[in-house]
Amino acid sequence: MSLSTPYTYIQCPCSDQTVLSSGNALSDPEEDERTFDPKAPRSNYSLYPLEYLLYCEDCQQIRCPRCVTEESVTYYCPNCLFEVPSSNLRSEGNRCTRSCYQCPVCIGPLQVGAIQPTTDANLLPTQYQTNPTGGPYALFCQYCNWTSTEIGIEFDRPSGIYNQLSKINNGGKPKLTLRDVKDRRKDNPDEPPVPDDQVDADLQFAHLKAFYQSRLSETNTSIRGLPLHDGLGFSSPAALTRIMSLYTGRGHQGRLQQGPADIMREALGTNDGLKIANLDESKEIKKLINGGWDATASLEQRKEQTEPIRFEDQLRPIAYLLRSKRSKRCPACRHIISKPEAKVTSTRFKIRLFAKSYIPTITIRPLNPTATPAPVTYRPMVQEEAPLKPHQPYHFVVTFKNPLFDNIKVTLASPNATPGRFSSRVTVLCPQFEVDANTDMWDDALKDDEKDRSRKADEGPEVGKIWEKGRNWVSIVLEVIPASLRIDQQPKKGNEKIDTSPLKSGEDILEIPMFVRMEWEADTQADMDGPASKDKEAREKRELAYWCVLGVGRISQE
Amino acid sequence: MSRRPAKGDYIETDTGNKVSRKAVLVGTQNIMLGGKTVIQPEVMIRGDLVRTAQAQPPSGGSAAPPNTTAVAIGRYCFLARTVLLRPPGRIYKGVFTYMPLRIGDHVFIGQGTVVQAASIGNHVYIGKGCVINEFAIIKDYVKVLDGTIVPANMVIPSFSIVAGKPGRVVGELPDGAHDEFELRDLYKTVGNNPQPAAA
Repeated sequence: MSLSTPYTYIQCPCSDQTVLSSGNALSDPEEDERTFDPKAPRSNYSLYPLEYLLYCEDCQQIRCPRCVTEESVTYYCPNCLFEVPSSNLRSEGNRCTRSCYQCPVCIGPLQVGAIQPTTDANLLPTQYQTNPTGGPYALFCQYCNWTSTEIGIEFDRPSGIYNQLSKINNGGKPKLTLRDVKDRRKDNPDEPPVPDDQVDADLQFAHLKAFYQSRLSETNTSIRGLPLHDGLGFSSPAALTRIMSLYTGRGHQGRLQQGPADIMREALGTNDGLKIANLDESKEIKKLINGGWDATASLEQRKEQTEPIRFEDQLRPIAYLLRSKRSKRCPACRHIISKPEAKVTSTRFKIRLFAKSYIPTITIRPLNPTATPAPVTYRPMVQEEAPLKPHQPYHFVVTFKNPLFDNIKVTLASPNATPGRFSSRVTVLCPQFEVDANTDMWDDALKDDEKDRSRKADEGPEVGKIWEKGRNWVSIVLEVIPASLRIDQQPKKGNEKIDTSPLKSGEDILEIPMFVRMEWEADTQADMDGPASKDKEAREKRELAYWCVLGVGRISQE
Repeated sequence: MSRRPAKGDYIETDTGNKVSRKAVLVGTQNIMLGGKTVIQPEVMIRGDLVRTAQAQPPSGGSAAPPNTTAVAIGRYCFLARTVLLRPPGRIYKGVFTYMPLRIGDHVFIGQGTVVQAASIGNHVYIGKGCVINEFAIIKDYVKVLDGTIVPANMVIPSFSIVAGKPGRVVGELPDGAHDEFELRDLYKTVGNNPQPAAA
């Protein structure tokens, strides 16, 4: 969220603790007295621009990204845009298993190309053709010119990179897999287990997984659960009760009729997935002395790696993390309030209840802009408004645009003085007005804005009157007298100690909390049922109230 | 003697394109504008970089004229000052050739941005000072923040916010932001008889 002013943020009611505790905020008389402080540290988490908010029709309440519950509709690779079925997701993990890789150095996309030029020596490495006889192949980053040959990885085929890469270690040596280990043990049962330094994370995980699977199937046949690795995940109730009974085995013995051996053996050797931490770091230290700073991987690079590494030559190409399309549910009534189409390439929605189509859009602009409009050939450049001078009245035009097909009655309330250390004075010149319904778009085109543009420019704003009015919008005027930002000029309030700490970041931005209450009469939901209820013509009175914050501008520091 | 009306800064075509007289369009016969597109001064579109290697027609008959579109732009696009649109080029079957650059509808391209993408979808916002490198593919509803460098061959899926050098997906577009990409109002603010910029 950029801090360019002016802006409007709306508070989601989910952050309001009192609503949760008392059930109904309006029933509490003290609640009405409280003013919302946009500068309070908590407010950061509840203020959203209108387009981030959703609206639940059943609860008739605003919902924000923080309070909705999400469900994945589709998983897909952001590079090849292939949909990944959720069964694959369980077996193969959350990364793309095609040939989509990111550069471990700069995070750019990697391209497969032949290392040896086959036809023309003058070509750039990435433009080699995928000649079937050509090869070997490598991954190339076109942004930072990193190639997988730098870590000694080459491929025989230009396709199926994921499978090829999972079999090669950095340096080109084949990677030890669980199958290799098993084969080796079969041929030669007396061979000692693989030394720890050859066990990488993948092998260790494979060992661990096999170990725990065998343990679980041995000890917990009586619990009648699914194996841990697949199926329901931890959130399903069946899995939860199973896990609970695993961990609190003794406590639940009464319920578990056949008492299994409730102590499970833990991993004991390499073949069980046990790997002793290697505390001898002399090898790394030696490498550091030789290679220096340049040989180490940066924190950002290390963060993206799946294995803990330290040096640049240990970096491996990063398979693209899958992305998901998600539907959103109302936290209270569990109705779906946003659901995208499952197809990856589709940008349409099956259901979407945006707050934007239920509550008015509030825009704010200065009545007398100081900045000159940008010349046509430079548009859409926006000239910055000059900072607001303290102790000088400013007028702002606040426009409410009604998205509903019914007239709405809007009541505004705002504290006379903004909360916080530097308290500016605010007057809403017209706190109560009605906004016409959002009728046919063509009416607007035909009438255009001639309706109430008759107001003369030199006529100042009047108290109690709306400033301008259009088809489905109303503008009112807000008067603001910015406070001085000088610490020594703060008025003394009784015995209260004045905070004389220096100006904090963002404190110079004048933000006005405003309580918006809208009332409208909507058709009752019943008349959707059929023609039988049509004659009822029942109109239902509805209201919605919320806090919003108008970011007006910066106060100059003089 | 009838005096001709004073020339405006823009050439307004029948399909509603507003092309600044100070824009440099090379190879105009290879540039397709869908209509209602604004081209600001000092924009350069390299229509001369046309595909040289033609895909062989499957049947022997070569009745169809070769496709010579180098840059195709949809409706309601906005190219701010000093934008450069340049079709991407690569080796195809042993010969270097340019490939067409396709831009969808409602695409905004900010000041000083260089675009060499293979395709840009509909409803895309590209900020100022960006570089979209060769054969990048940007899908619908994508916002590229100011100063981003999108690496060559990168694919940006729908509803992404992209930033950084090199560009990476830094966020997801909120569901309600989709109609913000509409450029109809911005289109009206430019031209020989412009409306004042919207508040």
